[in-house]
Amino acid sequence: MSDVGGTPPHHVDWEPDAEFQSRPHAELPPAEDDRLRARWQHVLMLGVAAFALWFLLYAPTLQHNAQVSPVGTRRTVSLDVTGPVAAVSRFLQLSHIVSITGRGNGLGGPGGGLTVVGPRPGGQAIGSRPKSGSKPHQGGTAPTTPTTAPPNPKDPTAANPLRVLIVGDSIGIDLGDALQPDLAQTGVVSAALDGRVSTGLTRPDYFNWPAELTADIKSQDPQVVVIMIGANDAQDFLGPPDVPYTSPQWNTLYAQRVAQFMQIAQSGGATVVWVGMPPMQNAGLNAQMSDVNAVVQQQAAKTHPPVVYLSTDRSLGTEQGAYTAFVTNGAGQVVNVRTPDGTHLTPGGGQVAAQQVIAELQTLGYHIP
Amino acid sequence: MLFPTTDFAIFFAIAFTVNWLLNPYSGWWKLSMIGLSYVFYGWVGWSYCLLLLLTTSVTYVGGAWVNATSTERTRRIAMGVSVGALLAILGWFKYYGFVSVNLDNLTHALDMGRAIPLLQVGLPIAISFFTFMAISYVVDIYRRDLEPAKPLDLAVYISFFPHLLAGPIVRGGELLPQIRRRRDPNSIDYSRAFWLILAGLFKKVVISSYVSSAIVTPVFTSPTQHSAPEAIFAAWGYAVQIYCDFSGYTDIAIGLAMLLGFRFPQNFDAPYTARNLQDFWRRWHMTLSRWLRDYLYIPLGGSANGDAQTVRNIMITMVLGGLWHGAAWTFVVWGTLQGVGQSFGHIRRKSRERRGLPAVAEGPVRDWVQRFLTFQYVCLGWVFFNATGMSQAFSVIGRLFSGWGEASPLITPLLVITIVGTIASQFVPPLRVDRLQAAFSRQRTAVQVGLLGFALLGITTFGPVGVAPFIYYRF
Repeated sequence: MSDVGGTPPHHVDWEPDAEFQSRPHAELPPAEDDRLRARWQHVLMLGVAAFALWFLLYAPTLQHNAQVSPVGTRRTVSLDVTGPVAAVSRFLQLSHIVSITGRGNGLGGPGGGLTVVGPRPGGQAIGSRPKSGSKPHQGGTAPTTPTTAPPNPKDPTAANPLRVLIVGDSIGIDLGDALQPDLAQTGVVSAALDGRVSTGLTRPDYFNWPAELTADIKSQDPQVVVIMIGANDAQDFLGPPDVPYTSPQWNTLYAQRVAQFMQIAQSGGATVVWVGMPPMQNAGLNAQMSDVNAVVQQQAAKTHPPVVYLSTDRSLGTEQGAYTAFVTNGAGQVVNVRTPDGTHLTPGGGQVAAQQVIAELQTLGYHIP
Repeated sequence: MLFPTTDFAIFFAIAFTVNWLLNPYSGWWKLSMIGLSYVFYGWVGWSYCLLLLLTTSVTYVGGAWVNATSTERTRRIAMGVSVGALLAILGWFKYYGFVSVNLDNLTHALDMGRAIPLLQVGLPIAISFFTFMAISYVVDIYRRDLEPAKPLDLAVYISFFPHLLAGPIVRGGELLPQIRRRRDPNSIDYSRAFWLILAGLFKKVVISSYVSSAIVTPVFTSPTQHSAPEAIFAAWGYAVQIYCDFSGYTDIAIGLAMLLGFRFPQNFDAPYTARNLQDFWRRWHMTLSRWLRDYLYIPLGGSANGDAQTVRNIMITMVLGGLWHGAAWTFVVWGTLQGVGQSFGHIRRKSRERRGLPAVAEGPVRDWVQRFLTFQYVCLGWVFFNATGMSQAFSVIGRLFSGWGEASPLITPLLVITIVGTIASQFVPPLRVDRLQAAFSRQRTAVQVGLLGFALLGITTFGPVGVAPFIYYRF
């Protein structure tokens, strides 16, 4: 215990032994260690050379990251810079050094992924299962093999839970983070969430959602699929030839992607609910999301049986469907539903959207308590 | 701008060169550092630079006003108004949303209509840190511990980019003299600086990211679906995550400052080796704890007026310290837990002293038991600190009572090794690290380039694609 603060002494239990306390003017002490010092030019040369070495070794990965980044000046410049260096790295076969270590995927593999929570057939709760460690029909997510008449999915029980798959981009994750536990805690729903930030349907080179959903359908065999994707979709389709977002062909191509995605979601016979993007604070992004929502709504109506399109314009917006950060929930309480970026949902916003989805499922005849 | 990005690497190469080229020209150096720091801060959104400018202006005027007044009473008024203005800026951005929603729900329940407008106010990153530095500057002038700085000096002091986003919270008495004098361009302690930067990057990019994705995020997202052992590992994991995240940031900040010829105060000192909560707060976020001590605890009366008031002052200080992290009840609980733990320790030590015993009982076994218990108590606090709300925190804690006998697939050998290894690394004597740095500084340049390049390669290879912002950026 130390005394500080002069008179009277204050016994301050958490006082750190401040390095500067005895040297109020922070004069540099003389070097009393064995470390050699260097001139700034030498340090600059050392740092630049080390960075250059890293750049040479890592350039193929950097080039790949640039290729899959959003279209724009930054991507163009990054590709122009990394391209020649990556070529040299490959020519010298230096890229093997990175590839033998796993190509920069991190200790735990790529971020995001599929988790499943809720009761397993037989009634026992299960925990999250990272997708990287799971196989189709593994553990608690496996559908039961019926020996008698198949149970009615609209009357789920703990022994025969309703299997729900939620997929989405970052806003879809905001929804899923609330919807998944809400469904799971009913005790009669096994809810899987596969969320991937910064993804969408326009850039399969960055993340191939159709392939991912196909795999999810195969492994989870869902009876209900909830989709919330589109926040990153208002961008050019990469060619050749490139299809700019502003071109007339864009809507046609995007409609095809959406239709294909709905077809995959329905391929196992699941009921599909597509949650539309909420109003955005940024006027430009808001207009883009209106375009995306319009395409989705049109395609939903064309499918057989129709995909249920769930608009969030009013549930997460004003009465007129405009952006607002605050809404009043069913209990009459004001809830802050949007993060300060004016795009994503707060946990409260996710909860509002989740309750809207559950209400819709109940309307569709699913008996979810 | 985030430290672990290529953008920042390029930015820093420019800043480093400009720093040393203009080192002999004091005025130009200050202008260039202000410009670079504002570019650094405004990289995401330029509008927040106006806030930085506003805070700097209020601080300058406040400091000059305090210094110009002659009587103690007017000095106190000038100091109070200046600090109040700085706190008003902080309060608007940080607490308005929280207060307005809670007040609105209260008045709604009482059928009284809307009390104040509901507004969503974006929280500018770093505002808590530079506001605390600004307050310390004004109060130090009031206490006559510091002479008022020239405008450019003050602008560099508040905006200097190595500490700007998340500290350390450097005092005027520490940084302003370094800003005023020229730095020695021929004596850069580069081996220590590079060590700090690489160690910080490793902790943040590799360890913190991995532990977060492997256990912390899954368990905190849906606690009821995880077993008791997973909940325990999630709490331990978050202890490792936040330590690696925040101390990693601080290491990088100190290392960068060192390359520019500056010394920053230490902010972490192996906090999970602490034997009690008092010890923990001597080792965790040290620049915040001394700020709380000097600008809150002591003005409240400190420990000068008996045990009851000391406990009161500790509780007020720690609860407000909790609220400093954010406007949420979880932070209030976290601060309360810190206050209760410290008050308990204070009373216990006083009791032992009265009985003629050493303040803290010692012994090899007792030491390790104390360390273990302290760590568990700290982890209990971290559960509230990380939770998005009270229900989530209680849900995680509830699993300790109801989650036994279930499968724990998230607890893998790699996760256990990472958590245990990170905590064990805090027991490595600093002397060993010093020797490594000294050995590095004596290598040939080509070897040094190779070691640094491959270390960077290892970090980027084992880290995830796209690094999450530092946890403390949002405070």
